[in-house]
Amino acid sequence: MPYKEVVVKKPLLLKALPFLSIGAFLLLWEWVIASGLVPSVLLAPPSEVFTLFIDKLTSSNPDGAVLAVHAWTSLQEAFLGYGLSLLVGIPLGLAMGWFKIVEGLARPIFELIRPIPPIAWIPLTVFWFGIGLTGKVFIIWIAGIVPCVINSYVGVRMTQPTLIQMARTYGATDWQIFRQICIPSALPMVFGALQIALAYCWTNLVGAELLAADTGLGYLITMGGRLGRPDIVVLGMVSVGISGAILGFIIDCVEKKLLAGIRR
Amino acid sequence: MSTHKSEIKIRVNNLTKRFGDMTVLDNITFEIAAGELVAIVGPTGCGKTTFLNTLSKLMPATNGQILIDGEEANPRKHNISYVFQEPTCLPWRTVRENVAYGMEVKGVMHQERMERTDKIMEIVGLSSCAELYPNQVSASMIQRIAVSRAFAVEPDLLLMDEPYGQLDVKLRYYLEDELITLWQKLQSTVLFVTHNIEEAVYVAERILVLSNKPTTVKAEITVDLPRPRNFLDPKFMEIRRQVTELIRWW
Repeated sequence: MPYKEVVVKKPLLLKALPFLSIGAFLLLWEWVIASGLVPSVLLAPPSEVFTLFIDKLTSSNPDGAVLAVHAWTSLQEAFLGYGLSLLVGIPLGLAMGWFKIVEGLARPIFELIRPIPPIAWIPLTVFWFGIGLTGKVFIIWIAGIVPCVINSYVGVRMTQPTLIQMARTYGATDWQIFRQICIPSALPMVFGALQIALAYCWTNLVGAELLAADTGLGYLITMGGRLGRPDIVVLGMVSVGISGAILGFIIDCVEKKLLAGIRR
Repeated sequence: MSTHKSEIKIRVNNLTKRFGDMTVLDNITFEIAAGELVAIVGPTGCGKTTFLNTLSKLMPATNGQILIDGEEANPRKHNISYVFQEPTCLPWRTVRENVAYGMEVKGVMHQERMERTDKIMEIVGLSSCAELYPNQVSASMIQRIAVSRAFAVEPDLLLMDEPYGQLDVKLRYYLEDELITLWQKLQSTVLFVTHNIEEAVYVAERILVLSNKPTTVKAEITVDLPRPRNFLDPKFMEIRRQVTELIRWW
């Protein structure tokens, strides 16, 4: 039987609040430019960004590609980097939380690498991988792996000790306890990591695309800057924001489905 | 059910546990017959939980032996079950999967596991919520799940650490009856730790009274009353008074 969710009706006003806040924000933004408070050479109003958005759906001027191509390039890079950071970070973090040997070996190195901002890796990345896709994926991977490791590690560490004792009295091996008790109980934290890592990967995308690129949302932003076109810059930023929010929303839905029993 | 069965299942010899220079358990020696339900009572803070943790091998003993069927106790080899005071349901498993968990660790085959799970859930009335998750059932159900899981592995030794301490009086009576039913049907060897004297007299065939720290077995009382027992039976009250006298700390 699937987990039944109790539906509580939200008052209409509460439902409308997000739309109100976004609407008010857009209006205010439009107004500060229309009223001349902020000169239009410094910031493009939302109406102009929207027109450009429609235009960029089909036109590849002046930056060389239509918006969908930029978005697709960025998504590819981000997802490759993100996927790799989950693939390496989560198992590593989980193992660090339970196996003393892994913790002893991996933790010091991890603690040293952790404080280095991902964009500090850019020069080395250029030496190693040149300016292609690999380099960008590497930067994004570095950015995403940190929350994966930390959250998985803490998740395992927070396993309720009596659950472990309970399994031990039944004669469970260390490996069984790790697999049957620690990993499932770390899952809420791991899902937290999916969200945080996605945010890290996505925000470092722009940094990675500084590496030199010919497409990508980060590239769109840099190009807008070079061309002195605030509307392009803002369109790039808004696109990064909206796509990131959509991805976060998708992960949230998956989490809700998978963690039905654990959610309190 | 007689108190003195021929076959000794559990033998504890000179069990001693020290933390640094503090002796918590001091030379505890006793025996439990196969299929016997023994209660352990003692004053608060006398080391009951340490005692159980040592018995279950969660904690190494400083000295002494715990023998199950004449062999050194080993959770990998023997079936030891432990019902903790705190809830120990796995929140990501349904009630049924929780009851089956102990057997799963023990490597009981799927078919048999399902049969035993169903049988036990039937006895304790969990069948109707078999597919629910622990956060959807009440606190008493949670403890029932833990008790069922413990009985399901057909334990050589079932340790219970005040499993009903946190429940209200009415529910406790109800669950104690259920415990007795399970124990009678499955003939497990049970060691029931409690600070509630009435509960001990109600469920046990024999009561071991522990002393203050350093803890040792101060007295042993056989409860030779027919079941179902009656709290108002003069004999019941007499035994309760006797035990109370033994652990008076006021």
